[in-house]
Amino acid sequence: MMRRVWALAVVTCREGLRDRSLYGILLFALLVLGLNVAVAGFFMRQLGKVTVDMNLSALSFAGLLLVFFIGINLMAKDIDKKTIHLVLSRPFSRGEYIWGKFFGLVLLVLATLALLLVFSCATVATVRGLYPNYFDGFSWSIFFWAVLFIALQLMLLCAIVVFFSAITTSSFITLIFSMASYLVGITLEEVLFYLKSQAAQGEVIASESLQRLLEVVAWLVPNFAAFDFKTEAAHGLALDGVRLAVNAGYGVCYAALVLWLAALIFKRREFN
Amino acid sequence: MLDIQFSTINKTYKPGLFKKKVTALTEVSFSVTTGTVFGLVGPNGAGKSTTIRLLLNLSRPDSGTITVNRAPVTDRDFLRQVGYLPENPYLYDHLTLTELLRFAGAANGLPAAQIAERSALLARQTGIGHAMKRPLRTFSKGMRQRAGLCYALLHDPTLVILDEPMSGLDPLGRKMVCDLILDLKGQGKTVFFCSHILSDVERLCDALAILDRGRLVRTFSDGEMAAFRQGEASLEEAFVAAVSAQAEQGGAA
Repeated sequence: MMRRVWALAVVTCREGLRDRSLYGILLFALLVLGLNVAVAGFFMRQLGKVTVDMNLSALSFAGLLLVFFIGINLMAKDIDKKTIHLVLSRPFSRGEYIWGKFFGLVLLVLATLALLLVFSCATVATVRGLYPNYFDGFSWSIFFWAVLFIALQLMLLCAIVVFFSAITTSSFITLIFSMASYLVGITLEEVLFYLKSQAAQGEVIASESLQRLLEVVAWLVPNFAAFDFKTEAAHGLALDGVRLAVNAGYGVCYAALVLWLAALIFKRREFN
Repeated sequence: MLDIQFSTINKTYKPGLFKKKVTALTEVSFSVTTGTVFGLVGPNGAGKSTTIRLLLNLSRPDSGTITVNRAPVTDRDFLRQVGYLPENPYLYDHLTLTELLRFAGAANGLPAAQIAERSALLARQTGIGHAMKRPLRTFSKGMRQRAGLCYALLHDPTLVILDEPMSGLDPLGRKMVCDLILDLKGQGKTVFFCSHILSDVERLCDALAILDRGRLVRTFSDGEMAAFRQGEASLEEAFVAAVSAQAEQGGAA
């Protein structure tokens, strides 16, 4: 079983790595990193924070583009163009197909992130070398933790993409639902926090039923904000080990649950 | 050895949201005996590809049962012994043929050495050895068909399912496929294939079924096929007669 899953993951990753759009995404991310070095001198005082934040944002954004514009196609195209008939005519179970595609996407994301990370480290090291006084609180270990959590966030997003690809018939619908899940997941925690803090001050912005609804949605939609450690990395704030473990565990469990559900639904799907 | 049995299969599907159901197959029953070349012919839209998809469990019948060696096709174990070439196979664009075949072999649990050996043999047989390292997106239609054949046959399957295998092939390619089918037959394998080209069907098949508008209108036994091969009767005439009779029945209804 593992050999089949691995074989499909490798094929999926290869297809993604050879997609020309990937070069565009890489070029864009490298331009942002290069721009960082070029304009670093304009950000006096906050230079170190801006550099770290800009680097992590470039990695995160490149990863999002990769998952949304290459990742979605890797599964949806299989179904659209009926390549899936060839794959499922082999002794693949539907569940193995789902896991194979997921691991393929994750491999693609990790390979791309690893490449960008090399350039990102070079950028940070260059700017740090040019302006050492502005990097007092900077810590490489916190920076790498933040990158690791970007990878975890993208892994969860891959699971969401596979889930929507498994239940919809069009790559466009998958793109819309995946993007919506990401946008809701990245902002909802902040919205709820704001509503609660306003309510504590006696100011009611949203009705109680709307707040309840948002709380229910917060349980259903993955909390992508839980993987964002850019602020900690930029300011060199110490990371809480328990928080890291809980958030990582949350991501892995959520992804596993979503993939299990995807496999369950995909098993019932017909390919006409 | 794989015996296939279709028993009173009905299949409808919805072509899209808010669209009416379309009947693909009605009360279709037939069987395929191990070691024979079985042909399924019919006009466009007759339900041939649907029949294959049901056999491969890519789609499920509304009613009726499909069994392979008396086990339902939902037990996917039999797929280890199946090789499938779809009509107009769409292969992974950015892979090379070598990588595709490595994937096919790994999916069936073949060791790397056997994959390399079978790949080389099939590439030689299908005449595509020169393109093993080229991305599949650069292949012409005929080359894709040959690559699809290599993919289907890599694990030396007992049951080979071919959907329009001659599609897009030049005369040499058609001859190659015919020789390949006869070779498989010689090895005692079961070949299930759909085609529009009656001369190929006549030459290759031991048994034949004609589908028209989702109904099985006629089957031909080995003896009847032998009569076609010896020129004692014409398959084309028999085909036209069977389909016309079905059209008249449909019109009368």
